[in-house]
Amino acid sequence: MSREGLTRRDVLKLAGVGGAVAAVLSGCGPMAKYVRRRPYVEQPEYALPGKSVYFATTCRECPAGCGLVVRTVEGRAIKVEGNPNHPLNRGSTCARAQAALQGLYNPDRARGPKVRGGKAITWEEGIDAVARALQDTPPEGIVFLLGLAPDHLAELVYEITQALGAPPPIRFGALAMVEARQTLAAAAEAVFGQKAVPTFDIAKADLVISFGANFLETWLSPVAYAKAYGAMRQGHPGRRGVFVQIEPRMSMTGANADLWLPAKPGTEGLVALALGRLMAEVAGVEAPEPFAQVDPAQVAQAAEVPLEKLEKVARYAVQDVERVVALPGGVVLGYENGVEVAQAILALNGLLERLGKPSLVYFTPPAGGREPLAPATYKELMDLVDRMNAGQVKALFIHGVNPVYEFPKVLGFEEALLKVPLVISFASFDDETVPYAHYHLPDHTFLESWGYQRVQVGADREVLSGFQPVVVPVFDTRATADVLLAAVQKVGGALAEQVPYKNEVEFIQKQVAEFQKRNDGIYQAAHPKVFWALFLQHGGWWTQEATATPAQAQVPTVQVGEAKFDRGELHLVVFPHPILADGASANNPWLQETPDPTTTVMWNTWVEVHPETAAQMGLENDDLVLIDSPYGAIFASVYVYPGIRPDTIAIPMGQGHTALGRWAKNRGANPIDLLGFGVNGAGDAAFGQVRVTVRKMGRRQVLARKENTVGVYGDGRYQPVDKRKEEEEKVTSTQE
Amino acid sequence: MSTAPSQLRKAVVNVVAFAVLGALVLGATWLYASQRVPPQPLEFNHYVHVQQLGLSCLYCHSNAPRGQSAGLPQVNRCIACHNQLEPKSPATRALQKYAENGEAIPWVPVAIQPDFVYFSHAPHVQRGISCQTCHGEVGQSTVAQPIKNQNMGWCLSCHKNMSTPERFVQLSSCEACHK
Repeated sequence: MSREGLTRRDVLKLAGVGGAVAAVLSGCGPMAKYVRRRPYVEQPEYALPGKSVYFATTCRECPAGCGLVVRTVEGRAIKVEGNPNHPLNRGSTCARAQAALQGLYNPDRARGPKVRGGKAITWEEGIDAVARALQDTPPEGIVFLLGLAPDHLAELVYEITQALGAPPPIRFGALAMVEARQTLAAAAEAVFGQKAVPTFDIAKADLVISFGANFLETWLSPVAYAKAYGAMRQGHPGRRGVFVQIEPRMSMTGANADLWLPAKPGTEGLVALALGRLMAEVAGVEAPEPFAQVDPAQVAQAAEVPLEKLEKVARYAVQDVERVVALPGGVVLGYENGVEVAQAILALNGLLERLGKPSLVYFTPPAGGREPLAPATYKELMDLVDRMNAGQVKALFIHGVNPVYEFPKVLGFEEALLKVPLVISFASFDDETVPYAHYHLPDHTFLESWGYQRVQVGADREVLSGFQPVVVPVFDTRATADVLLAAVQKVGGALAEQVPYKNEVEFIQKQVAEFQKRNDGIYQAAHPKVFWALFLQHGGWWTQEATATPAQAQVPTVQVGEAKFDRGELHLVVFPHPILADGASANNPWLQETPDPTTTVMWNTWVEVHPETAAQMGLENDDLVLIDSPYGAIFASVYVYPGIRPDTIAIPMGQGHTALGRWAKNRGANPIDLLGFGVNGAGDAAFGQVRVTVRKMGRRQVLARKENTVGVYGDGRYQPVDKRKEEEEKVTSTQE
Repeated sequence: MSTAPSQLRKAVVNVVAFAVLGALVLGATWLYASQRVPPQPLEFNHYVHVQQLGLSCLYCHSNAPRGQSAGLPQVNRCIACHNQLEPKSPATRALQKYAENGEAIPWVPVAIQPDFVYFSHAPHVQRGISCQTCHGEVGQSTVAQPIKNQNMGWCLSCHKNMSTPERFVQLSSCEACHK
């Protein structure tokens, strides 16, 4: 080569020297490095450095109460797995339980007690504040707002409120709202004679007819249902269960169905009645009253579902198979006539029983015969907001729920919060509600907590699922039960006499001791301490044998009537995100990074639009749209999704946080903001009656999908439409 | 052609050479620094404890017979005796502070192996091999110092000397130490 450039020899020399430098700097360093080790201050007897210790505990990512076994090494939790002996989940977990470690070690957790404005205080000052609140507030002005887990705290708070003469705690959450538990319970009362959420034994079924229940994702007890679903499909050699899903938007559960029928929103109850009538006709019996009132052909036309499909399902259910179950859930319960719709669907089970089929519905017996405190209805929540606005609520304690994020904006909870003179938040994270709290006294996350959960759905026996700390608290947090009990002792007097527990563990031990008298549990012990050790070792208490018996279904008289809808162009389905659910764990990067199973979207909110509707409105994938309901508006990116009715759009919950931490904040939108005031007969939210208008914004916000990672970090890139056209033209010209 | 490109070339070579030299110096400094033992949090005197008081090694390094790691003394192990003694030296005063705060003592282990070596104390101690065989007379020293040349040849020579030729087949296989 020429003399002007570097010679070959120079290049080789430099490459040699550079390589040596690189080797020294990167790999070829010392093989063993000196590090500082921090041995235990007091090494537990069972601990051996380098050896794992396993603790059985319970998951609190949702209220279901699955058993977990957590592996720890030298005092650090390093892996979460399912408890193989737990009757609810039998060794399995969902993605949220697996990711719970990132909740425990999350850098955005609240690190200690604070007052409004962020000034740190001591726990003594925090407990003083709680004690003053309990002492000085007139009892009727004290309100405890709790989540659906854990049950031990709800029961302790119930005892405290009883002793004070205050109203009982209110339990609520966005997930409970879209599960409409009270609606389900009310309908179950009419059909089965028991006011509780029923468990549907799909494991034994040959045919499952689900109306909108997303039981493989977040519904009630998703791991138990997912296991049962597996057994239904593959657990009975020679007969594979068949699954029919009727819902306007194909959920992940619907995507697993053999037949997905997108009935027009609001007609699901009528479809159930029509199915019943067709079943009676196939069986050659007279259709009972509620089923006789409908004409299947008319219903099929109104619901935009092929009549022959309904006939086929009815024929299959009556003639071909033995065990059939029909279950209502999701948006189907979210209409103003939700209770009646649920009754109509549950009545199918009564009809099938009349046709000689076995019942596949049972009620999980409550542990120790004590029902956990039921979640409040939407109506009760509206009453609470009215009381707050009227200045009747003087002290509000908030635990396990994030009302500013989870409650629909239209309720006005934020404004009402400002009228409460004392708000105390026990949130483990700096969530949306914390800025409104006068005191923030953070609780542990569940892996650092004591407690128990009375399993309500999904188990075939009594289950008291126990929590125990698997690690010492990572930050300066304190168990809310301990804070409350310390405050109670500070108040003293009659209150301390009626709530005599020294601490949280003593309260739990007293509850657990009741099970020591039982002789049908998986273990027995004569001494309370041994029983307590066995309780911790097993991760709870449950009976040896399954005790749930099939519930006998009646066919009630039902007037389904018509579902009412708001004005708007398109039906709106707001569904819990299959991974993030209600968004309480949205600051967990593992969960954010887990793609939604049907759309593969990560890290953001999308709106599912049918391809035809999208074409009519000139929308394409990733186009930003404004979704406008009579109650609120949000922005989201379009995901063109063929698994949805053309007259419906669907938006997942879980994103749209304005706080909670670096991975959740300012990401996506919260569709709960679009919901309104409507309630059904049971007082639950009529979240399915909202209709919306979709407006194209003329720019793109690229969604992170598995095949496209552009939008992963940050908020997604905004791009004007004409620039995208340019790019497309460029692509076309290159192709030419 | 003009001289300009040749000057430019020289300049480039110089810059590159300086960068390389600088990197080498930095690398060497880092290498040196990383091979030095960081100071121990408190100057524990092995001689006093072992020779004068007659404590066994296993009193403090108690995991050696049953675990991979021999373990470093926990505060409560030290304080079991030291709460009877008045803290006079800087080391004992430091110990008292750790105990009062309930903090772990951030020891720096000096007998260390790279991550790819899977050494376990338990089988060695259970075979009756004394601590001194590998660690030397730590009891004669004050603050523990690293031992040089604890390398693969050193392990293997001992494995060979202390076993039969048949046993040595197993004891010299790669996966005995590199899993």
